[in-house]
Amino acid sequence: MTLRYEYAVETEDLAKYYVMGPVTVRALDGVSVKIRRSEYLSIMGPSGSGKTTFFNMVGGLDRPTRGKVFIDEVDIASLDAYELAWLRAKKIGYIFQTFNLIPVLTALENVTLPMVFTGVEREERLRRAREMLTRVGLGERLDHKPGELSGGQQQRVAIARALVNDPVIVLADEPTGNLDLHTGLEIINLLKTLNTEKKVTIINATHDLKMIDVSDRIFWLRDGKIERIETRAEVAVKEVE
Amino acid sequence: MSGEEGVKFPLSEAFSFSLESIKRRFGRALVTMASIVLGISFLTFLLTTGRIVSILYGEGSGVAVQFYQLWMAVIALLICSVGIVNSMLMSVTERYKEIGTMKCLGAMNTHVLEIFLIEALLLGLIGGGIGAVAGWAIATVWQAFTQASPVNIFMVSASLWTEFNASNPLLLLANPLIDIALSVIIALLAALAPAYIAAKLSPTEALRYEV
Repeated sequence: MTLRYEYAVETEDLAKYYVMGPVTVRALDGVSVKIRRSEYLSIMGPSGSGKTTFFNMVGGLDRPTRGKVFIDEVDIASLDAYELAWLRAKKIGYIFQTFNLIPVLTALENVTLPMVFTGVEREERLRRAREMLTRVGLGERLDHKPGELSGGQQQRVAIARALVNDPVIVLADEPTGNLDLHTGLEIINLLKTLNTEKKVTIINATHDLKMIDVSDRIFWLRDGKIERIETRAEVAVKEVE
Repeated sequence: MSGEEGVKFPLSEAFSFSLESIKRRFGRALVTMASIVLGISFLTFLLTTGRIVSILYGEGSGVAVQFYQLWMAVIALLICSVGIVNSMLMSVTERYKEIGTMKCLGAMNTHVLEIFLIEALLLGLIGGGIGAVAGWAIATVWQAFTQASPVNIFMVSASLWTEFNASNPLLLLANPLIDIALSVIIALLAALAPAYIAAKLSPTEALRYEV
């Protein structure tokens, strides 16, 4: 009964080994998961558990040692450089712990950037970027450079940038890692709202436990392997016990 | 994937991106440009002076002077190139993270290469232009004040701009326009290696890089 495109992301025995001198580090060691469309997912685990490696593999930013990643049922290893760039520009939005905005560009220009690569007309680009920035609550800060914005505001710009091309999935690597408790919570709630509103799949690599409350499912990662997969309800029950 | 899909980065976009980047990182651009301006103006000054003297007073002083001049010019160019390579390298490495981000947003290797090469081209053109005009002007004024007939000297040095004598590299380089072209070539060559390295970086490598 598999619907076409039921899963936004599928991985099959995904593994990444790094050879460092005599030691082989198994950053990711055989991860097979299926992530549904419009799911809000958190990948939790201690640092070094392979969260970021998973993020990089699924985002098509790095090649796996073994295994496959399917995005919208397309094996991304089969894509050429041109198609891979298109995947990054159109199908995936990235959010980073360190925001990674272009420092010399204004908030508005940062948000228009992904649309440059997907060939959106200039006027349309500006209109959509303005709309998106207003949506994340930065309508008044369009012409500010990242350096003139607070951490939380910068992350909002990054979220606007990640979502402006209507991607299939948004990958967030420790999106709240550089933010204080309160701002972190705001960002989490914003991501959740956008997830519900736009039906976009959101995958967080995080060790921020605040994420659990809004996640549909949580993958617990340890030493490059999936330790267990829980739904929010299961986690909540455990907490009560 | 259908025909509609595919990343785009037309040359006009690359050009405006490079131009903005120069404008907004003007300090960095000035440093790069300063080495170009100095190198090219020194070269142009030297050759303009040489040409004025030899045209007005004959080639009498002869081959020895020319050979000596050529060495001076080559060394000037070398110093200028090393300076440009150095500042290009700096400006690329300090932007590794930006390159990684651009790649996540859909930039391909060629797009990154384009941005940096256009930047180098613009810097070479502007720096070379300023340098060549300055070197030529200083040489002309200097000669006009120290030698006899100033009018004659202005005429001679003005004629250098239209002199394309390919028989002798020294005569050819004495044309300030050729020096501007040379400046562009040097800037492009200097930027090529760092830009290529930057373009080939994988997004993860580029993002991991801390300055």
